Formats: sequence, C-alpha cells, structure tokens
Amino acid sequence: MANLNIDAVKDMSYDAIIIGSGVSGGWAAKELTAKGLKVLMLEKGKNLEHVTGYENALKAPWETEYNGRLTVKQKETHPFLSRDYPYNEMTEKYWMNDSDAPYEEKKRFDWFRPNIVGGKSIMWGRQSYRWSDLDFEGNLKDGIAVDWPIRYKDIAPWYSYVEKHVGISGEKLGLPQLPDSEFLPPMDMYFVEKEVRKRLEKQFPGRTMTIGRVANLSQPTKIQLEGGRSPCQYRNKCSLGCPYGAYFSTQSSTLPPAVKTGLLTLRPDSVVREIVYDPKTSKATGVKVTDAVTMEQREYMAKIIFVCASTIGSTLVLMNSTSDRFPNGLGNDSGELGHNLMDHHFRTGASGTWEGDLDKYYFGRRANGIYVPRYQNIGNDKRDYIRGFGYQGGGGRQGWQRNVAELSFGADFKEELTTPGNWTMGFGGFGETLPYHENHMYLNKAKKDKWGMPTVVFDADLRENEHKMRKDMMNDAAEMLEKSGLKNVKTHDNGSYLGMAIHEMGTARMGRDPKTSVLNGNNQLHAVKNVFVTDGASMTSASCVNPSLTYMAMTARAVDFAVKESKKKNL
Amino acid sequence: MNRRDAIERITLMLGGVLAAPLMAGAMGEKLNFGPSVNFTPDQEALLAEVADVIIPTTGTPGAKAAGVEKFITRVVRDCYQLDEQKKFYDGLARLNKDSTDTYGKGFAALDAAQKTEIVKRSTTADKPFFVQMKGLTVTGYFTSEIGATKALDYLPIPGRFDGSWPMPKGQKSWAI
Repeated sequence: MANLNIDAVKDMSYDAIIIGSGVSGGWAAKELTAKGLKVLMLEKGKNLEHVTGYENALKAPWETEYNGRLTVKQKETHPFLSRDYPYNEMTEKYWMNDSDAPYEEKKRFDWFRPNIVGGKSIMWGRQSYRWSDLDFEGNLKDGIAVDWPIRYKDIAPWYSYVEKHVGISGEKLGLPQLPDSEFLPPMDMYFVEKEVRKRLEKQFPGRTMTIGRVANLSQPTKIQLEGGRSPCQYRNKCSLGCPYGAYFSTQSSTLPPAVKTGLLTLRPDSVVREIVYDPKTSKATGVKVTDAVTMEQREYMAKIIFVCASTIGSTLVLMNSTSDRFPNGLGNDSGELGHNLMDHHFRTGASGTWEGDLDKYYFGRRANGIYVPRYQNIGNDKRDYIRGFGYQGGGGRQGWQRNVAELSFGADFKEELTTPGNWTMGFGGFGETLPYHENHMYLNKAKKDKWGMPTVVFDADLRENEHKMRKDMMNDAAEMLEKSGLKNVKTHDNGSYLGMAIHEMGTARMGRDPKTSVLNGNNQLHAVKNVFVTDGASMTSASCVNPSLTYMAMTARAVDFAVKESKKKNL
Repeated sequence: MNRRDAIERITLMLGGVLAAPLMAGAMGEKLNFGPSVNFTPDQEALLAEVADVIIPTTGTPGAKAAGVEKFITRVVRDCYQLDEQKKFYDGLARLNKDSTDTYGKGFAALDAAQKTEIVKRSTTADKPFFVQMKGLTVTGYFTSEIGATKALDYLPIPGRFDGSWPMPKGQKSWAI
C-alpha cells in the first residue's frame, strides 16, 4: 500500500466490507447501509442485472437449443455440477465453471458454486421456515457437539423483521416445532393435496400437512410494490431469475434499498483471497482481492468485515487468512474451522396415484410444494435415532411427460399424451444431519485454482443416525400416502450425497466457548471482534428445516449488534 | 425403476418445481464426451418420416410438420457421446434396411400402413433404437411451437393458481 497516494487510500477504505452478495451478503448490505455505513460489497462472480440479466426467463420451450439438456462440452467443463439437475442448458451462466477451480473429494460432495451477483439467491428453492427451540436446544439435550449460544427468543424478532421485507406466503399453524412467520396469503393446494391433508390429519394425530412457505409474493404489500416488486405470475421459472421481482433475491429485495442510500459500492469479479489481520490491534484491517478478469491484485480496508461467501466459501477465506497469530486460519483457536460440515439428506420417500376426480385440473404453475412439519421424536413419537425430518413434495396431474406404454406410438399414443393423466402425489423427506467433527473440509495449498486460491478437499459422509432416519423417511411416506387414499404407492431411495440439498452448513460454528467454537452468539469471531460470519458456515446444528430464512435473520441481528458495538468503540 | 420413472418421481418430490423444459432435459439420454458424427440431409429427412409415424398428423399437425428432426439431430450432435451418436444413426440405417428388405424400397417411399408395420417391428427387433427415437420425438414435438401450442395448451403467463380448476370440455394437457 506504500505507493498509493492519500486519495487512493481513501477510495480503498470503507466502514464495512461484505464478502459475498447472496442471501446473507445482500442482507448485510441492506442493513449496514441503512445504518449509515459506507459499504463495499465484493462478489467473486460476474454482474447480473436485475430483469435484463435474466436472459432465459421468458423463453418458450422451442426457443431453447436442447430443452435443458447438457451438452457433451458442458459435461466436460463442469464435471461436478453436471452430476445433478440445477446445472442445465438454461442456468449455464449462473454457475461457476468447475474447471476454473476443481475441488477434491475424499468422499463425494456436491458443491454448487454460483458465479453471479446475487449468488444462490437467484436459483434458490425459496422454501422459508423458522427454526425453533427444538433445533436450538437440540445439541444440549442430546449431549452432542456444542450448545447453540442462542435460543428462539433471541432470533424471533429478527425473523419478523426480515419476513416483513422479504414476503413469505404461507399458512399459520401455531406449531411449536415450526413457528409461524409474518405471512402473505398462502398459495392454493392442488385438489389431491387437500384430499390427502384431510385424511392424513385424521389418520395420524399430531401430524399435519401445509402449503409450502415460500418467498414468492402471493399478494405484495405496499412496501414491496413500492420497492419495484410484483405479484407471482405462477410461471414456475424462478430459477432462471424473475423478471417480475416476485421472489426474494438480492437483486429484487435487498440490493435496491442498499443502492438507494448511495452508500454501497458493489464490485463483481472480485475474488477475496484473505482477510488481513493486525496483531497490534487484534483486529482485521481489510481484505486482499484478485480481480477475476484482469488478475490485478488490490487491498481494501474497513473497520468491520462481514463474511457471507457461502458456507464453504466463507471458511475457505478464513482458512486462507493465516498469520503468526492464526497459523491455522483466522479465528481458528478452537481447531473447529472446517469441521462439523452438514447438509440435509433427502431423495427418499414415496409417491402414488389418485383415482378419479378427472373433471378437475389445475390452472397456473405453482412454484411451491407442500410441507409436512417434523413429527418424529416429539411428544410420544420416539424413534431409534435422534432428531428427525420433514417432508416436501406435492401433487399434480400427469402431463405429456408421463410414461405411458413403452412400445406404443401413433395417433392413439399422441391423443393419450395430449389429455391430462391421473392426479398424483408424493412426499420426499428432508432429514437432519448431525454435526460430526469428523465431517470436514480442508485445504490443499499445493494446488491452486485460476485465481490462486487453494483447493478445497471434502471428507464428509452420512452416518448411522442418518441411515436409520432414511428408512423412516421412506416408509412413513408410503404409509401416510396409502392411508390417505393414494393407490399404486411406490417407495424410492435415490441416495443422498452431502451438498446435494444445497443446504450446506457448519465449518465455522457458533458456540459459547472459544475453545470449542469459532463464532460467538452474535456471529462474531471469538478472537477477532470486527469479523462476522453470518451465512451457513455459522450454524451449530442443521435442523431438518430449510436454513436460508435463518441466515437472513441472523445477518440482520449481527449487523445490529456490530453497529452498536462499533458506536461503543468495542470493535 | 427406469430413468424416466426416476425423473418423474424427483419432479413430484419437488412439488413440480422443476419446469417442464428442464424436466424434459433431465429426461435426456445418457450424456457423455466426444466429438460428433456428420449426418446427411437424407438421414435428417428419414428421421422426420419415422418421427411422423410416432406422432402423426391427426386433428393437429404431427412431428414432421413441427420440424422435430432438427431438434433430434441437434441433440444427438451436441449431447451424445460419439459412440452413442453412431449407435443412433446405425439404428436408423437398420430401420431403413428393414424397409428395403421387406418392401423393396426405402422407408420414406412406403405407404402409411407399411411405415407403421416397419416401426412396429422395430419395437421388438430393435427396442433400444425405438425407445431412444421415441423419447427424442416426444420431447421434440411437445416442446416445439406447433406441438406446444396446437396439440397442447400453452399458457406462458398464467398470473394465478387454482389447484381445483373445473376442467373445461376439450381441455388439453398443459404444455409447460
């Protein structure tokens, strides 16, 4: 920095730096700028303009080349991503090129890395649920891992705060294990779902089924409309980016108010290599960045740093930030950095068909499913494993894609496919994975990616508790569907690799004790007070409930704390 | 459980969250590495003829009118590994040879009943080719402009959702 003149240093200095622009980073930007801080948001991926950047969002099926199929070339350049459906012809531009930064798998790990401003907030599934004390008290009660340093009451007001801005459509149930959000009106259920719900609730006291709680605007509030957002058009093309701004993404929801303050500088194409630590003050002073396009190296300075680079991305930056004080990664006195890697396990359940009621069809394409909240290991429901699972799934009527007689063809075959088929219904479990110290990621510093970052190595797997749970995830689904009137019920277990649910969590966990955790109850590094990690990396356990809404609430809460501490001169 | 069943089930699990074109993509044949084989205009024309037997013109235009052969050659060229491409075109050649051996003329020159007979024979004599050809034809047709808007009901921007919609008489499957 010695060669920079005073003005340049000023340009490189901010009140706060945010690493990452996804769900958590976007919230940090909105909250920090709202509190009057001058903020730099650094995004590794390229810029993606709201609306005009969503090039495939309005394409008709015949305007695509391969109807979503991957080409041989894409399989070649994206050996990891091409193993699963989120990466396809239509979303090619949103994901990172695996070849630019290959990773290593001691055990298979599906790492979905976006390459755009907005991160995975563009392609996310939008299912949004509050966690509860069933989750926050779980580790303490079961005597595993470490206790969460927070309880539901600590985060409940922050859930309310973010929900009013985001817009979550859903139905109030009053369940302790799945607290209600501040809801927009719920989406309608399919006919078959309503029928199944009635029977399920009667046959299985203590269990219920509700419409998915989803971050799509069923009926926008005045604030959301004024923010440039519109109601959901029921196109079910969300993962391509929404030209109506109808679902929550950084671009639709958190970036506009942050930009409006005039206090935000957003720099795409900025790979943060490390956070710079000053042993004299015991604080971080800024970050070192490589420009993803020009490879130019820069350093930015700030009083507060929010690390929101996604679970693996954030821990990668911390691990790569070494110094005499922190030879094993920034804030890693406990040795827990990189450990306790979690994801939800899924891809097992059951489905069946409903006979009759063919005089009813559906209108519109609901980008949402149904949800069966966790009921295992609650009250008198005891299982041979700890924790539990919820179901996602849904109904519908079969269309032209359905499998009819394999060898049929001709006029009758064509006629059959152009007529709607049977109503169908399915449940797929989403189960909690425990925080095992042995499940971890680490760095291979000998092998660098395109931007000079070390290679991430994954060594994590499902274990006995998860395998036992998966049996129930499959069998309970079949039992509930059969007793709810479905016919031809078939079970499936397609196997689940960690990372596939894209709910990766842990690796820089929160805790009460600096000896056994990386972050405190305010998402603050125990050992470096001006660095906060508010994405999935911070999670102490995984729950069975989708996590993104919790990242939003924790980020808003941590910003509030950070700014108060900063004013008290504690950072 | 075959691949098609598996994909249908996964889609179901996601509550239909996977959009139809993406689902069609996910249901694609096995994809691999490698360069592509060249195909001739004759082969492409032959594909159109076979596709038109699988999805013929009825009250609505069929696969040939929808230009399905263009979709098929594009997908095979760009999404199939070289040996898979060769296998596919070998299958097409066998079908045409069966036509020549049986009727003394190529498939394109047969009458409708003869074409149906040759395709029917392929369902048992050359099932892997038939199933592959059928899959490509179905996806290509129902995602073509003609297939999606004439054989099916295409509604790009529904604007609302009703899960128990009273079905109007003559309602076709939704295109997407």
